[in-house]
Amino acid sequence: MLDIAFRNTRRQRTRSILTILGIIIGIAAIVALGSISEGLNYMVEAQMETLVGKIIVHEKGASMMTAYSGSEITMEQVSDLEDLPGVKDVIPLVFHIMGTSGGFEFAQPDMAIGIEPEKQDYFKGEKVGMSEGRELEDGDTEVAITGSDYAEKYDLEVGDYVTVEDEDFYIVGVVEKSDNMDIDSSILIPLEELADLLEIEAYPFVFVVPEDIEESEQIAEDIKDSFEDFDVITAKDMARTVGELMTNIKVFTLGIGAIAAIVGGLGVMNTMIMAVLERKREIGVFKAIGATDRMVLKQFLSESAMLSVIGGAIGVILGAAGAIGIGVLSGFAASPVITPEIVIGAMVFALMLGLFGGLYPAIKAARLDPVEALRYE
Amino acid sequence: MSKKKAAKRAGARKRGACTGKKNGPALKWQEKHRARAHRGHKYILEIEDAKKFYNPGKHNEVRALRGISLKVLPCEFISIVGPSGSGKTTLLDIIGTLLKPTSGKVILDGINTSRMSQSTRARVRRGKIGFVFQQYNLINTFTATENVSLALRIGGHSKHDSEKKAEELLKMVGLEHRMKQKTSLLSGGEQQRVAIARALANDPKIILADEPTGNLDTKTSKMVLELMKWLNIEKGYTFVVVTHDPEVTKYSRRIVYLKDGAIIKELRKTDHRVVKI
Repeated sequence: MLDIAFRNTRRQRTRSILTILGIIIGIAAIVALGSISEGLNYMVEAQMETLVGKIIVHEKGASMMTAYSGSEITMEQVSDLEDLPGVKDVIPLVFHIMGTSGGFEFAQPDMAIGIEPEKQDYFKGEKVGMSEGRELEDGDTEVAITGSDYAEKYDLEVGDYVTVEDEDFYIVGVVEKSDNMDIDSSILIPLEELADLLEIEAYPFVFVVPEDIEESEQIAEDIKDSFEDFDVITAKDMARTVGELMTNIKVFTLGIGAIAAIVGGLGVMNTMIMAVLERKREIGVFKAIGATDRMVLKQFLSESAMLSVIGGAIGVILGAAGAIGIGVLSGFAASPVITPEIVIGAMVFALMLGLFGGLYPAIKAARLDPVEALRYE
Repeated sequence: MSKKKAAKRAGARKRGACTGKKNGPALKWQEKHRARAHRGHKYILEIEDAKKFYNPGKHNEVRALRGISLKVLPCEFISIVGPSGSGKTTLLDIIGTLLKPTSGKVILDGINTSRMSQSTRARVRRGKIGFVFQQYNLINTFTATENVSLALRIGGHSKHDSEKKAEELLKMVGLEHRMKQKTSLLSGGEQQRVAIARALANDPKIILADEPTGNLDTKTSKMVLELMKWLNIEKGYTFVVVTHDPEVTKYSRRIVYLKDGAIIKELRKTDHRVVKI
């Protein structure tokens, strides 16, 4: 009887199209926002991987959100941190924002990162190799290596120059794509050179690498006890904070999508209520020729489910296309990630909207008294 | 007339004029059903003291039927006539299991339908009853074939089988040239013939028609009545027709007069005698 349900949805074509449009908007919003939030999640996870086992140390009062501006850790303090028991290494870093890549405020900025060449693997990850050229080496001057996205964006390769604060740096290597936007969208320059260029004598923050990852919490406590002015963030703290943030973003984005979709579901309900009213006499005939209440219920539910599934399928396609489009046009740092879970979830949600939206009118239709329905004018 | 005599007369009629096999080639699938017809019950329909009160016991109680008893033999063509409000349609709805009587029994093809649940009554309708309405009640956006096949599909037949059988039925009612037409484009007479084909879809034991000529002009009415007569005589279908139309009664072999929810008289075509008051 599905073919009949399909025929019935085409009877009031304009109304059905508008109903489907409502579902399309809702489901497209869910898919687009869901995949953007998933992309964000994916990106943050990739960033977090490089932090595993590390402890971020900065001056009290500075926040990660402001790139620890105002925080100052001197070279002497770096040495003191290195002397703490259980500390394997301390990596001072300098971040310098050169500009943003797009007009969108969430676009990943182009950054120059100063790092000691022998410690660059801690930052970019040992597994991430070079797609071209070589890594930074001790004693390098006026050279840089670039992240893959940065190189692609400015069409750079080994042998080209990149300018930071009017100083040219010779590119000796291009780092493989790492999915860590701090690396992919940046250039890495020897620490001393960037610090001299920016005329800074202290570092906003440092990474502390423990000898044993298991001890990172203990070392973090030791740092807090030994340096009253310092605050620490362990990878665990970061994961918790970022996890909460990501959950909030997900709930918020999916919430907006869900509201839009529920409005679409109400549209289905409205359409089906109208259909029941208009086809009252037909329902009477349906029953007179032997349809049970259950059959009538099923018939109307299949019609509402059909509207929502068609809307859902188109919504998924448009939502995915929209998310990719937004990603490309806005230069948003995190590329949208369309997972099978988002697609299946959106389709199931669309089906549920159709079934729930259609349930009340379908029950109403099923319970119609055939005698009364047959006499309906 | 005694019960024995009435039964004898009815039996004679059944064996004579009203046998599909003898008087015309019934469709194969209909023959199969007809072979099992009536399950050994003498009457296709027995109504025993059926009453129908709306809002019983309340100040606005309406006594639509005040105790109707009626027996219908297979292959009869009965007209139920009477003024508006006499209970004709209520009686038809009760026979058609669309309504339950307040008291009394309705036995259709040996099954007491008067206390059945809604869903069981729907199944009875699907297998044993065909309806023809004054307004045709077709789905106008569907073709003639689709309208007829709908009844078969509700009965559990596949789309392909249903359409095949629907086409056979439409040919039988003389609409082979209109099968693929949407019913909104058909004339009143054609629409009513589609409705009759739909009523025949599940090879019912009884066809209930509520004012089947009420929306038709004289010429078309006559064509529809001729078709019903042919189905009755040649194919052996039993008809119970509620009507105001004197023309319909001319085609009936029995006329039941209703007034104020009670049968006031019955006429049989063979003798035109009042047999019951």
